Amino acid sequence: MKKYLQYILAITIAATQLASCTKDTESAEINLAQTMLGNKTWYMDFKQTGTSLKTYVGQSTYFINFLNNGSTNDSDGIVGSYTVEKVAGQLQIHVQAQTSSGSATEYVYDIESVGAQNLILSFQISGVKTTYYYSTK
Amino acid sequence: MFKLKSITLIILLMCLFYSSNAQTPTVPLRTQEEQDKLYLKRPFSDKVAKFKQQIGKSWDKVFVNFTDNNTYLVAGMNFSNQTVRTGNYASSFNYSLSDFNKNTFKPGYLAGFRVDGKYKQMHQYSFAMTLQKIATGTRYKELGSLAPFIGSYSSFKADDQFFNLSIAAHYKKLIVLGDTAKYKFYVVAGPSIDTRLSAQSADNLVNNNYQRFLLRGDLGVEFDNSGYYTLFLHYKQGITSFTKAPIKANVNSVELGMVIRASDLF
Repeated sequence: MKKYLQYILAITIAATQLASCTKDTESAEINLAQTMLGNKTWYMDFKQTGTSLKTYVGQSTYFINFLNNGSTNDSDGIVGSYTVEKVAGQLQIHVQAQTSSGSATEYVYDIESVGAQNLILSFQISGVKTTYYYSTK
Repeated sequence: MFKLKSITLIILLMCLFYSSNAQTPTVPLRTQEEQDKLYLKRPFSDKVAKFKQQIGKSWDKVFVNFTDNNTYLVAGMNFSNQTVRTGNYASSFNYSLSDFNKNTFKPGYLAGFRVDGKYKQMHQYSFAMTLQKIATGTRYKELGSLAPFIGSYSSFKADDQFFNLSIAAHYKKLIVLGDTAKYKFYVVAGPSIDTRLSAQSADNLVNNNYQRFLLRGDLGVEFDNSGYYTLFLHYKQGITSFTKAPIKANVNSVELGMVIRASDLF
């Protein structure tokens, strides 16, 4: 049995070397979220406040653009920049912008789920959770 | 009298000449290429021959019971399918299954070498190392939702392209069917371990979802045409999951291809 050991050991070392080629995954989640969000126009389909759900499907609705260069603008005339961050294990969109009247505005939404065609954002005010459901249509 | 003697002497001399001529070794005619091979230096071929000799010596010393080893080249195609159960896996990403849920076998390819031999002069085996490009169709067994959006969604997107190093050890059993002097049929079975050499997609790098190794059970048939070539058809059933818990991804493949003795080519 001893004579086989050197062969088994050689194969194990080769396999371990291959297995150790792992990549840095720290920024992978933010990069993926950015890729899925970027260069798309997101249209609001539903808005849920507490247990009340309002639908905008088939209607003229709010939309927001997130561009790959980090800029954003929406149908309300707000223009600015955005970043995707991870804070306390939660993915967030941080928007710093100006309204059409020129006043500064800043808000942070939690990303509940993001995909190639669907986006769910939420925030809480006074313990009441509001969730926005967007799609690319 | 003198005349008769001289005639006898001439005949004897002629016989001696022809007999000595017949016993002279004739030099076989060689082509220019054969002569080059004989007289010119071939450093690469010499090194390969030396390497093969060293390996052979070492192999024979260690694997005493593994005899009649022959090295073959393997090439072929594979058709693979992946079955996914996501369990309670959660992520910040959603994937519409209408784009990804395809219960099909997709084609890939494989190439490598294998060593066939006998264990204790009785049990036939093969040990194969192949590089495999695997493409899979993916079947999601659990369809999630993303209410109030309509449709089926999953928070996990299975990778469908892999580049693996596969190591397989098969036991070969001869099936007596027809004239075994002309051709032979074998049933083969055994385990194989795939090592994923390719990186994960960006979707799976987020939670490092895929394992490095995949253990599979192989079962197949082989047709040996008088040692000229061997055709094989193997089915590989995933035993372990290719993904980490709680996701279970079973990768199954059908492989078909050809095996040719390496010495016939090189």
